[in-house]
Amino acid sequence: MLSDFLVAAIVAGTPLLFAVLGEIFAERSGKLNLGLEGMMLMGAVVGFQVGLSTSQVGLALLSAMIAGGAGALIFAVLTITLRSNQVVTGLALTMFGMGFSSFVGKNLVGEALPETIKLFFQPYPIPFLCNIPFLGPILFARDPLVYGGYAAVIIGSLYLYRTRCGLHLRAVGENTAAADAAGIRVTLYQYVHVVLGGILCGLGGAYLSLVDVPAWQDNITAGRGWIAIALVIFCKWNPWVVFLGAYLFGGLDIIGFRLQRFDIPISQYIIDMLPYLVTILILVISSVRKSRGSAGPAEMGHPYFREEK
Amino acid sequence: MKIGSFYLEKRTHVRWYIQGLSILIALLGAFGVGALLIKTTGANVGEAYAALFKGAFGSRNAFLETLVQSTPLILTGLAMVVAFRARVWNIGAEGQFFAGAMAAAWVSMSLHDTLPYPLLLAAVLGSAMVAGACWSLIAAYCKIRFNANIIIVTVMMNYIILFLLSYLLSNTWREPGSYFMQTARFERITYLPRFFSSRLHLGFFNALIAAALVYLIVWKTSLGYSIRAVGVNPVASQFKGIQIKRTILTVMLISGALAGLAGGGEIAGLQHRLRLDISTGYGYTGIIIALLGRLNPVGVALAAIFFGALVNGSTHMQIFTGVPVALVQSLQGIVLIFLLMSDVLTRYRIRRMPHAD
Repeated sequence: MLSDFLVAAIVAGTPLLFAVLGEIFAERSGKLNLGLEGMMLMGAVVGFQVGLSTSQVGLALLSAMIAGGAGALIFAVLTITLRSNQVVTGLALTMFGMGFSSFVGKNLVGEALPETIKLFFQPYPIPFLCNIPFLGPILFARDPLVYGGYAAVIIGSLYLYRTRCGLHLRAVGENTAAADAAGIRVTLYQYVHVVLGGILCGLGGAYLSLVDVPAWQDNITAGRGWIAIALVIFCKWNPWVVFLGAYLFGGLDIIGFRLQRFDIPISQYIIDMLPYLVTILILVISSVRKSRGSAGPAEMGHPYFREEK
Repeated sequence: MKIGSFYLEKRTHVRWYIQGLSILIALLGAFGVGALLIKTTGANVGEAYAALFKGAFGSRNAFLETLVQSTPLILTGLAMVVAFRARVWNIGAEGQFFAGAMAAAWVSMSLHDTLPYPLLLAAVLGSAMVAGACWSLIAAYCKIRFNANIIIVTVMMNYIILFLLSYLLSNTWREPGSYFMQTARFERITYLPRFFSSRLHLGFFNALIAAALVYLIVWKTSLGYSIRAVGVNPVASQFKGIQIKRTILTVMLISGALAGLAGGGEIAGLQHRLRLDISTGYGYTGIIIALLGRLNPVGVALAAIFFGALVNGSTHMQIFTGVPVALVQSLQGIVLIFLLMSDVLTRYRIRRMPHAD
């Protein structure tokens, strides 16, 4: 029973995992991209459409990543090169994604995914690791993209804390002018990491529509993009903590569905509010904590233009 | 910022025709991308846009219906003007709209036989404003007391109220014996008066009055001065003695009340029953309208009528050319993206690099 719940929590948390990790990279470069919801929706709808019409998992995931990355590229051009306000641009991207996905998704409602895709996302137990008592079958008998999520977090953390590029990225986010003066190519770093964030968001969206749900429904993300932005704060911009944050919210996401079986007297609608209420709670708690010292990248949300310094 | 041999130079002075040009470019760009989207559906672009225009302005009734569609948008747009002028990012107009609609529905259901006619309407709309303000107060409190990110809190509140409404519509408020999640139709005495033998109701004129009031508040009172000062430079305003937290609170209350009024007006003027689909994202569209209207009440009214026309015309377009109504929703986001792009024109001059090194 408990292990069923944990498995479902991991599956429901995987879209969040990719989105949160992506946003950490963007924010570490000093860019606050509020367009996560839009980029996830773009990835979800494009991935689903391509998966449906080609039956190719690789193509579906690739095109979802391109869709998310393209959305992020729009954001990057607008905020980095054309100097528009990051908050407004992020909102614009979210609204574009909402409209675009419901326009494209009109014909996708009720369509079932081809067998090849369902087959690809069946669990592949990892030898030895899946024999660990209790946790083994939960963590190491999952579908390939869950493993992809593990790998992304581990590689992302090592990249951020153990490589020269990661060090430069953190420098750009903490003090852009100093990083610029030290010869780091600030604009390049910002572009690359904002777009990388979008690619990961698109992948998360595709996992949502191809595996987690798996079907198309209008506004399929239901606020997960916004929750992911709050989770970045919860994780204190540290990729390692993404495991905790994403799977915790994956659990909250499905708890209403799971509790239906127990005939509890609380309406499911009230339980379904939980992820959103807990998100507000997290924001409140981490803001209180923030006043005692752990804030995000110092330059986050601020524009940087060399000649205006 | 260098792009090839060009660079951007900040304008010290923005002329009005440059502002207009930037909006025009944004609209043209959006309709251009819209044309591509229409092509993917296999319809003829010219015919689709012609049907859109005809549905919006083709006859006296079509035009009046456009005004009906623009009514909630004027109010949610104004709600954003008040908030964004102070740089308070209230993205919660959608939830505040529903709070207003729920309050209006509750008053319509429970007080319709206790209050006389004009007083009842005042109670319906007044309760909607209070409810909208209260719903935004929660987010304002999180911001002021805990400095929580107001954008995310307001978005979360939008989702929470939808679940609350679903709960009510599946329980106590549900129309007895109905298959749908909706309340019973309200008594006729709770309806707003309509005009010109069309669906145009009192709510539209309320919205215009609200636009005038927002102008007076933001530009002609000391509160408005504080709002604009906090928006331009919070640090300087604090030194000048403006209480920032109190300004944020006031802004959120006014903004919430306007969005709530939009919800109440839709209930009392148009819907006459509460359902989950009474808003097609009016709260989010309000953001685009406010920015397209340059955070100014007249601009907002014009932008809202423009978007009302798109919504109204799109039904006609779907019937006659098969292009889905959802096209308009994607156009909204595209308009904003192009507006942000063309805004470079208003803030910067594009100059060629001098050749002296």
